[in-house]
Amino acid sequence: MNSAKLVMRSISKRFGGIAALEQAGLEVRAGEAHALMGANGAGKSTMMNVLGGVVRPDHGQILIDGEVVSFASPTQAKQKGVSFVHQELNMLPSMTVAENVMIDAMPTRGGLVDRKAMRLRTAELLRRLDCTFSPDTLVETLSMGDRQMVEVARALVTDPGIVIFDEPTSSLSEREKRRLFDVVLGLKRDGVAVIYITHFLEEIFEVCDRVTVMRNGTTIETRDMHAITAGEVVTAMLGSVEAEERVRPAFISIEPPLLAASCLSRDGAIADVGFEVRPGEVVGLWGLLGSGRTEILRAIVGLDPLDAGELRWRSGDTLDIIRPDKLHRKVGFVTEDRRGEGLLLPLSVAKNISFGNLDKVKGAFGMIDAAKEKTFASGFVERLRIKLSSLSQPVRTLSGGNQQKVVFARWLGTRPKLFMLDEPTRGLDVSAKTEILRLTAELATEGAGVIFVSSELEEMMRVCDRYLVVHRGRIVANLYGDATKDDLMHAVSDGRVAA
Amino acid sequence: MTVLSQPQTGTISWRALSTFLLPAAIIAALLLVMAFYAPNFFRFNNMMNILVQTSALGVMAVGMSFVMVGGGIDLSIPANMAFSAVMGAIAMRYAGVPGGVMVMLLVGTGVGLFNGAAVALLGMTPFVVTLATMTVLGGTTVWMTNSQSIADFPELFFEIVLARPLGIPVSVAVLVVVTAAASIIFAATTFGRSLYAAGLNARAARVARVNVEAVLLVTYAVSGLLAGVAAVLLTARLGSASANLGNDGVVLDIVSACVVGGISIYGGSGRPVGAVLGALFIIVISNSLNQLGVSFFINLVIKGIAIIAFICLDRISSGAQR
Repeated sequence: MNSAKLVMRSISKRFGGIAALEQAGLEVRAGEAHALMGANGAGKSTMMNVLGGVVRPDHGQILIDGEVVSFASPTQAKQKGVSFVHQELNMLPSMTVAENVMIDAMPTRGGLVDRKAMRLRTAELLRRLDCTFSPDTLVETLSMGDRQMVEVARALVTDPGIVIFDEPTSSLSEREKRRLFDVVLGLKRDGVAVIYITHFLEEIFEVCDRVTVMRNGTTIETRDMHAITAGEVVTAMLGSVEAEERVRPAFISIEPPLLAASCLSRDGAIADVGFEVRPGEVVGLWGLLGSGRTEILRAIVGLDPLDAGELRWRSGDTLDIIRPDKLHRKVGFVTEDRRGEGLLLPLSVAKNISFGNLDKVKGAFGMIDAAKEKTFASGFVERLRIKLSSLSQPVRTLSGGNQQKVVFARWLGTRPKLFMLDEPTRGLDVSAKTEILRLTAELATEGAGVIFVSSELEEMMRVCDRYLVVHRGRIVANLYGDATKDDLMHAVSDGRVAA
Repeated sequence: MTVLSQPQTGTISWRALSTFLLPAAIIAALLLVMAFYAPNFFRFNNMMNILVQTSALGVMAVGMSFVMVGGGIDLSIPANMAFSAVMGAIAMRYAGVPGGVMVMLLVGTGVGLFNGAAVALLGMTPFVVTLATMTVLGGTTVWMTNSQSIADFPELFFEIVLARPLGIPVSVAVLVVVTAAASIIFAATTFGRSLYAAGLNARAARVARVNVEAVLLVTYAVSGLLAGVAAVLLTARLGSASANLGNDGVVLDIVSACVVGGISIYGGSGRPVGAVLGALFIIVISNSLNQLGVSFFINLVIKGIAIIAFICLDRISSGAQR
């Protein structure tokens, strides 16, 4: 059972100028569940896309059962026994279980779909997964857990030797999760090599035998699960956090709070979240991906609904209750999806900056004055040192860092007292990152409250004055700006194992 | 960090081609043919006639441009126009000319608000909602009028709407005013910017505090109001109001006008003046083919092909942009 079912050796892949994978390697044995861990952007997806034939590597070798293979398409990978259980449930809800399971490979007879063969094969797979529902059930009537089982059944149709689970539990209840773990154990018994990707650390200690950790496009180490602790996995994922200079010394605000949130809840996303933000401080929401950091931000400004909870906002000497949509009008929100939610890509830089500030660029008869608009925009272009050739060039043609500065410029124009920055440095190069962090500190120094979210701990540690540790939608700890890297890593890994 | 300033040659030239150059080239070619085969085409009267014919279609196309830039579509415009015309014509008997005209405008706007509420507030699909509205209104209009035309309006109505102060027909003046007002709204108001934003990327617009639902609601109301304006112009020109005003061909003409005029069916781009030029393009094609003695049905074929060609251009240019 200890033979290597799959070996991926020195896999490299560049997209444009950016290395997505650099000499990454992975070895998975038949009959083991192998966890593949890594922070956001570490290269897990690209690695699995290489294995699945979706992406062709620039260099490197893949061996299955000792034989060198090379996939030009996902179909070829499938033929060699590689199968995916996707995180997103790509189901056709109005069709039956059997139809969904066999969608890629409908058995035919005389050119027509052989429904009987289809049902028999599906029933056989469902038995293997201990599912009690019939192949004729409509998928839309199934629970999330059962749908996940259908997804697993679909992956097993081809009798694969290698099955990749990508975030299989993110939408499952505790009981449904147990069932999924049983399935993984069953696959192991059948000698299948399972690759298990998740953001939830505690799960890998339950079902996996070994773990390979990826960081920055390469594989850092492979260890036996019983020879590693949760803290060590987190450390390997995040790397040695270099003690880079803070952009400004940690600051303790003694002013009365600007925003007070209490008992915020949204089913399945966040639970009982309460915190305060004071003027002049940068509050970091620290948690791994999927912990609910982004969901907290979105709920505060009404972009996602809230089931319960209360928000209060300072007006004069009192904190008054405020509705999320009203609060939205008072805060500057830099979302994590810059291109999808931050910018209007085909429109000019000037229009992107003035959007939301149009009252300030109006001239005669309340009409937008193009000259005023350009002056307004150019003020921010200078202040934030945005590099461009013309204010009327489409914002899409700017580099990532400059695009992000345009987003900041728009919100700066509205002079909000509170900024919420969700992964503001994502995808930026080192110098652009530093500029954005300096800008963040500058906003706080000028008296604004800032809520800062980042997947990169070293970044948080350069700018945050206080940390709220988020785990599974809850705030589990409150740490001060002098917290060390170890404190923060333990806060997040302890939370995980304890939960 | 590099300073990126690649000129967008590809996309901009496609956009320019689809909004201006191509229609202009086709019209030029057509006019050349007309000069040889149907010199009557160039008579002052026919030219004025073309502008007058363009006015109602142009006003409706401007209405459609609001909806389409916001990312939707309003198929009920012609049916709404006929319905408003009939309602107003009936009202005119009792309430006089101003009353009748007001009814046309109010009914048009009301239907628009209904569409807008269904799309913006209830999240229904614009295509289906307005198709259904179109059917309901078309049926109602026929049923109310028994398929008869309503004629005999007060002379005052014609005297006002068909007047030609300084030789310019009122309907043409109305088109110019509507187009100018819409152009200003699109280019220089908060609403205009919000409209482009909502059409380009509703999620980004929401994050930037745009009330996307309210913006969309207004676009349908405007398109309804302009259907009412078109009802006034057409009723006066034809001297009667009937269900037939909003026949199936009109909806095709409006959509063609917008698409030919560079208004993206994917939302977020285009200008009202483009829709008006598109309307002119459609009318010139119909009018000249008509004068050349080409059958009405061939005319339909040519219009359909033109739409497909321009949607194809739209696809290419927006594909390059997004």
